[in-house]
Amino acid sequence: MVDFKNISYSYSKESGIYDIDLSVKDGEFCFLVGPTGSGKTSLLKMIYFDILPSEGELDVLGYNFKKTKRAKIHKLRKKIGVIFQDYKLLQQRTVYENIALPLHINGVGRKKIKDNVEEALELADLLDYQNKYPNQLSGGEQQRVCIARAIVKNPELILADEPTGNLDPTAAHKILRILEQINKEGTTVVMATHNYKLISDRDYRIIELKEGSLVSS
Amino acid sequence: MIDQFAFLIAEGFKSFYRNKLASFLCVITIFINFSILGSLFVVGYNTGSLVDFFRSKYSFEVFLEEDVDKDIYLEFVEQLSENRIISSTEIIDKEKSASIFKEEFGEDVVEMLGYNPLPLSIKVFINEENFDFNQVDLLIESINSYDFVDEIEYRGKYIDDVEDRINLAIFLFLVFVIAIIFLSYQIISNTINLSMTNRKDFIDILKYNGASGLFIKIPFYIESILYSLFGSIFSFLFVKYFFISFNNYFGLNIKIDDYLWLWIIGFSIFIGLYSSNQSMKRNLNE
Repeated sequence: MVDFKNISYSYSKESGIYDIDLSVKDGEFCFLVGPTGSGKTSLLKMIYFDILPSEGELDVLGYNFKKTKRAKIHKLRKKIGVIFQDYKLLQQRTVYENIALPLHINGVGRKKIKDNVEEALELADLLDYQNKYPNQLSGGEQQRVCIARAIVKNPELILADEPTGNLDPTAAHKILRILEQINKEGTTVVMATHNYKLISDRDYRIIELKEGSLVSS
Repeated sequence: MIDQFAFLIAEGFKSFYRNKLASFLCVITIFINFSILGSLFVVGYNTGSLVDFFRSKYSFEVFLEEDVDKDIYLEFVEQLSENRIISSTEIIDKEKSASIFKEEFGEDVVEMLGYNPLPLSIKVFINEENFDFNQVDLLIESINSYDFVDEIEYRGKYIDDVEDRINLAIFLFLVFVIAIIFLSYQIISNTINLSMTNRKDFIDILKYNGASGLFIKIPFYIESILYSLFGSIFSFLFVKYFFISFNNYFGLNIKIDDYLWLWIIGFSIFIGLYSSNQSMKRNLNE
């Protein structure tokens, strides 16, 4: 599903990621851990081709970064759901409208949009919030909206970049449980976090990064 | 597909309404620019009529030698009448010349001098259709070669000068038109720039969710079409009713092209689409 072969990328002389060899299998749930600045976000951005490696080979869902033209990257992104630490919700749109956005992009009809959004709202426990605006919600609720938006298009891969970073432990556990449930339904999940305590009692694969290099996987 | 298209159109309208002040200023600027452009177009359209007017008045006069035989000059007039660039001829004999002289100067030249010194002449009127100064020059040259032709009074050069001035004015108009087009381009491009900056979050979310470049651009294309459409419709109405009122007030007959609306609106939309596309290319790093 995701294959990194000797991948390197540097922002400057001191920061970047170096010589990463890594594979994520279909249906897997894995955590990407490491301190701030270790390269977790860069690695996730590479998976959805937001930044491209300067060296090595990268294949994601059958798309090779060297062979994929810039204008075709959107096709890969349609298969990936991304969850951001800062939610990236549109403040002038309701929860329902925010979640429906990826379906509009995919050209889904109005009736199917309604069904899919309701399904995603239910999974994220947001059915009562669909007509509210993001600024009327708590951090945990906004992050659930972000998750619902990521899963509504039934992606093959979910990338979660510090989804619990701004949340209290209860909200963080709830988010993690939702992601686990999504994974149980067959979606591959890669979640970046620096909250070791949150994941310590989970028996999932842990990929550890430090100063841009792979420590263990 | 229809739902997707409806979504994109709705996004274009939302963008237009959300940036109220920027949209208003952009529409006003397009209105001013295209009002000037439309007015220049009307002036330019009527310049052709002005040239035609001058040309319709164009004629030259051939003065003949004193001793020319009547049969010879009548035959010469007949030859001239057959020439397709000549619309008509008029023989001004010595008596008619004397009466014209009296009309213009108030003196009877025959009484004053005891004889009539004025020459016999032929006034030649040029055909308006397929008018060509070169052909007229050639004709004058050939007429001049006849022995019985004394002199030709040729006023074509004055009209040529007038045409040169009109052409210079048209050239200056064109420079002005290009400046206005450039200004419109900049205004629309900057407004779309502003709009895209305001909606950066929206664009990012679209990108991360797999929207193609075209999908992201369509709402902004619609936004620029709306600016162009509103600005140009207002400017067309302004130009049209301005010239109608001008005609009524001054009793003029300035013509307005039937397709003026198409020129103004079509051209404005073209500039809107082109400038917004350039702006989007910069913003989306294409």
